[in-house]
Amino acid sequence: MNITRRLITVGFAAVMAAGVAMPSFAADLIAIITPSHDNPFFKAEAVGAEAKAKELGYDTLVLVHDDDANKQSQLIDTAIGRGAKAIILDNAGSEASIAAVQKAKDAGIPSFLIDREINATGVAVSQIVSNNYQGAQLGAEEFVKLMGEKGNYVELLGREADLNAGIRSKGYHDVIDEYPDMKMVAQQSANWSQTEGYSKMETILQANPDIQGVIAGNDTMAMGAIAALQAAGRKDVIVVGFDGSNDVRDSIKAGGIKATVMQPAYAQAQLAVTQADTYIKTGKGPAEEKQLMDCVLITADNAGKLETFALSE
Amino acid sequence: MPRFQAACTLVLAGALALSGCKFVKTEDEQKQAAAGAFNPDKLVADIWDSKVVPFLQERAGTFQEVSALATSNLDAAAEKYGHKEKQGNAPWTFAAKIDGVIVAEETKSRAGYVDVDVDGDQKADMRVAIGPAVRGTAIRDSLKFVNFNEFKNQIEWAQYGKSFNTHVNGLLLEKLPREGLTGKTIKALGAYPLPAKGQLPLFVPVTITVGG
Repeated sequence: MNITRRLITVGFAAVMAAGVAMPSFAADLIAIITPSHDNPFFKAEAVGAEAKAKELGYDTLVLVHDDDANKQSQLIDTAIGRGAKAIILDNAGSEASIAAVQKAKDAGIPSFLIDREINATGVAVSQIVSNNYQGAQLGAEEFVKLMGEKGNYVELLGREADLNAGIRSKGYHDVIDEYPDMKMVAQQSANWSQTEGYSKMETILQANPDIQGVIAGNDTMAMGAIAALQAAGRKDVIVVGFDGSNDVRDSIKAGGIKATVMQPAYAQAQLAVTQADTYIKTGKGPAEEKQLMDCVLITADNAGKLETFALSE
Repeated sequence: MPRFQAACTLVLAGALALSGCKFVKTEDEQKQAAAGAFNPDKLVADIWDSKVVPFLQERAGTFQEVSALATSNLDAAAEKYGHKEKQGNAPWTFAAKIDGVIVAEETKSRAGYVDVDVDGDQKADMRVAIGPAVRGTAIRDSLKFVNFNEFKNQIEWAQYGKSFNTHVNGLLLEKLPREGLTGKTIKALGAYPLPAKGQLPLFVPVTITVGG
């Protein structure tokens, strides 16, 4: 049966090669691989990519690697095995992921990276990433302004293996360190996690009760920090996050967190799928592999316009 | 019917294997090799006099010309005075010359600035950074001959952008007077990113003279 079918297929392939146009009836597959959807940011990416892929007539395979490079490698194997035509990937580490993306490329499957870069070019077709440095500067400028350019503050860092943690911290410090009266009394990683943000904040607060501000590398850590501060009755401490999640939007509106920076997660994921579609159909990649998307400062002034990592006009 | 589809897929896959996946390696290996030696301050100092200032001198229009054209025909203004990365959503950054009068000053903040009137109506037309903290990456972003894709990652690209600000601060801005600036004339060459609606352009100078 199988052999007959293959023969028939080959026959049809010959007909096709002769130039007879034939409509496609079953959809090609696009794999969408991101960190855990527990963080609404990654969920928004997956939802945005999936919606655009469906709109363009693709089937989708949505997977999460939980920031585990080994698991990511297995998922890439799964995507290869399932015959995916493209992989949309928010990767599990800027060094560790190079091999995984190379493996997909060797299997003839192009990768379109979103949110996080890898430390190599020419392996993925696109790397569409938020301008984390520009965004961090916006967040830090607002933080410094809210603090009156002085005071003791705490920085909560993201996961160390993630390049974005370093870029945001650098963006923060390139602004804040220009103000000699701003003093960092503690700097700790809370690994992008809300629960760690809470517990780290609790401990830091015990050791350093005299703080006026907290700047966090992402919104989930900022949510953890504000919860710990509020539990300790410290409503005076200024908290600034990064991502632009709906949770933080609601906190800003309620007078909790003071500011965040929105990354266009949804739009970024959709752009990656559009570029994948073009590549699948024409073999053409974008004019430049690495593409930066600017972030937008969110404060009480515009929080009302924010919904799922996009601002309405 | 499924057979048709299998045939389509097969042919498509064949076509892709033949036509797709051509990557052009550029300077990446060199960049990787030199990663340990990445020195953005030196990179900027090396091109400042020879390339940066001459490029902006050549490219800049008066602020009035640039902003009028950006309002009436953004594409034309971008072509003539602007630059941005080919992909992504960054705004255009324009090269411009200003010649006006300082109408307000902020020197208490580390991110000091003066507001400048260039058309004689006593109202601020732009905000000029005078340091020591300089915001953003306008100088880097105005230059056609530097490109994010030639850098290892965002961190190095960011350090490079910051080095332009550090350079101009050390060279010019920290030598400027910090008091009684309002009412003085100002001439400068520099760059500013297209501002959001209703906001003053934030101009970063590469040459500046305050006096009179």
